[in-house]
Amino acid sequence: MPLLRSVCDRYHPTVDEFLEHVEELRAATGWDESVHVARVSRVRAVDGGFEVDGHGTFPHVLLATGHPGLAWPDDLVGDPRAVHAYEPHDYAETVEIVGAGMAAATEWLNALAAGASVVSVRRREPERRPLNLPRELFSRRGLAAYHRTSRDERIAFLRRYGAPSYPAGREWDEPVEDARRSGRFRVAAELNGAPQVVCATGFRRGFHQDPLLARLVAEHGLETAADWIVLTSDSTVGSLTDDERTLALAGVPAQWAFPAADTLVAAKYAARRFLRRVRAWRTR
Amino acid sequence: MAYTLRGRFESRVAAALAPLVAGCILALALQAWWPVELAGLMLGAGLLFDGAYHRLVPYQPGWAALPLGLLELGAIMGLARLFHVGAPLWAALAFYAGSWLLAQILGHAIFPLLRLSYGEDGGELGRAGVGMAATAAVLLAAAGGIAWATQPPVVHLAAGVHEGPLVLDHSQQLVGEPGAVVRGGIIVTADDVTIRDVTVLGGEHGIQVEEAERVLLERVSVLDARLDGINVRRGQVTIRDCSVSMLGNEYGQGIDISFTADLAPSIVENCRLTGGQEGIFLDSVHAMARDNHVRRTTLRGITVTEMAMVSVEENTVEDALGIGILCSDYSMCDIRENSITGIRADHDSSDSMREGYGIVSHYWAHAEVEGNEVSRSPHVMGEFSDAYITFE
Repeated sequence: MPLLRSVCDRYHPTVDEFLEHVEELRAATGWDESVHVARVSRVRAVDGGFEVDGHGTFPHVLLATGHPGLAWPDDLVGDPRAVHAYEPHDYAETVEIVGAGMAAATEWLNALAAGASVVSVRRREPERRPLNLPRELFSRRGLAAYHRTSRDERIAFLRRYGAPSYPAGREWDEPVEDARRSGRFRVAAELNGAPQVVCATGFRRGFHQDPLLARLVAEHGLETAADWIVLTSDSTVGSLTDDERTLALAGVPAQWAFPAADTLVAAKYAARRFLRRVRAWRTR
Repeated sequence: MAYTLRGRFESRVAAALAPLVAGCILALALQAWWPVELAGLMLGAGLLFDGAYHRLVPYQPGWAALPLGLLELGAIMGLARLFHVGAPLWAALAFYAGSWLLAQILGHAIFPLLRLSYGEDGGELGRAGVGMAATAAVLLAAAGGIAWATQPPVVHLAAGVHEGPLVLDHSQQLVGEPGAVVRGGIIVTADDVTIRDVTVLGGEHGIQVEEAERVLLERVSVLDARLDGINVRRGQVTIRDCSVSMLGNEYGQGIDISFTADLAPSIVENCRLTGGQEGIFLDSVHAMARDNHVRRTTLRGITVTEMAMVSVEENTVEDALGIGILCSDYSMCDIRENSITGIRADHDSSDSMREGYGIVSHYWAHAEVEGNEVSRSPHVMGEFSDAYITFE
């Protein structure tokens, strides 16, 4: 059945199915036996590789630091009414939801389903896209063109596709339209004193928001472009990667190499190229 | 999947390998080239389509394989007809369907498992892709080489008159240069014979095919045969673009194909047949008569009889005496889009069927008719002796 659904672009595994598969892979790969957990706040290039915060020097390092934290609107930091969409929460009778992307749209539906009245606080109309990015950008075909873009073009591209969006479809529109007709949903440009504010504003963006990456850039003078660390197309830091050593980024901080950065595909993209370099290491 | 061009080509070639191998095995088993030709045609057409898809389909959802597969099927059927690939229809459809299904299973399940970055790489298969392309090329080259090496020899018939009868008792292509004439007939007794661009004068039969299969008669002209213009017994032929003149011949048929019901179908198409008792006579055969022009016959224009199964399509029958098209004696006839005109009543006969019918079904025969035009004739259609006609 998954194969048939996949043929129709209709395969959407549940979280439970996903975690079940993760568990299978975890067992099959011996993950628990091979992974050593430690806190790392600094990575520094040294002769023969990279010194990893007192844990040793390694010739090949892949940094997958994830999102640097939740993004809060400045005027809601510390506000007791505010909760982030990615934090557990219930809904008050009237809820103001800040944002216009997938998380915000999900919050609208959840709040309406819980019986709340919703005020969507947003500065722009959300875009409607099936995915964050066109599908071809998940594979070599689209990436080849992406990697040919100039620095300014790539910045503009990443900013454009960083704008909030959520998929088109009746399942999104009908509950909102029904609520709008019955007076339980409206749009506003500003907050207006509701008892609860849900911030569907995603994550903080940019390497400078991540202490480890900000320090790495500062200490080694890495090339950057606006919010992004400039990477080669194989997701490595060019100035710190050669035949002897590899410094690669994966996931969110690797958006310069793979625009759909916070996806499993992106993680695999960086990991496969990292593995290729490790395997090709002549002193191995 | 967002295929790269190389990914499309490599996936296509890799998926075509098994059908190519199967085609070679089938060709050996059936002693026929059509499975290899079909597999090669599918691969070639597929690669051409891939070139077009690359520009038109940046992202191809899985379900698109179905309409694209049907599009390719239509194109391949057209090309098979254009290049005269002699594949039986249902066998060819089954071969295509099996190959398509295999390609889907490979593309959706097997390739992604064998090469984990298959999707990410846009369908590219890395070194394996190059290896498989080389294997496919070697297979096709080997099959092509064998086909070329086993081609029947070409015998050129020079311009001028050659005394016959010529007896062709081994596989060959007899190709006439402009002005090449055989006087006294040609007799074919071997399989895989082609006769092209030859005029035949006289002879008992102009061209006689005896127990030979895969015989192609193309652009042949027959004049003044004493019996039939082209006579086929226990043989399987394709007769194309021919001309047979039987004017003044009291008893002969333009083309007579008989007693071949257990063989592959014969085809008569785009021939001009004038005079004789019947233009085309098909007795106990599987056959198709298509796009022929039959004129001035003295018994019937086209006859299908004796448990024959025949498709009679888009022919023109003019100035026949008695009957335009006859389906008789337990035969099953599919008679479509023929133009029948000027059928005259045979006043010398007491047979009521011969009162000038465009189409006659006779003696337990079943004729299915559609889109025929009958004009300047006393009767359009008639059923006789427990036969019947159905209209689609």
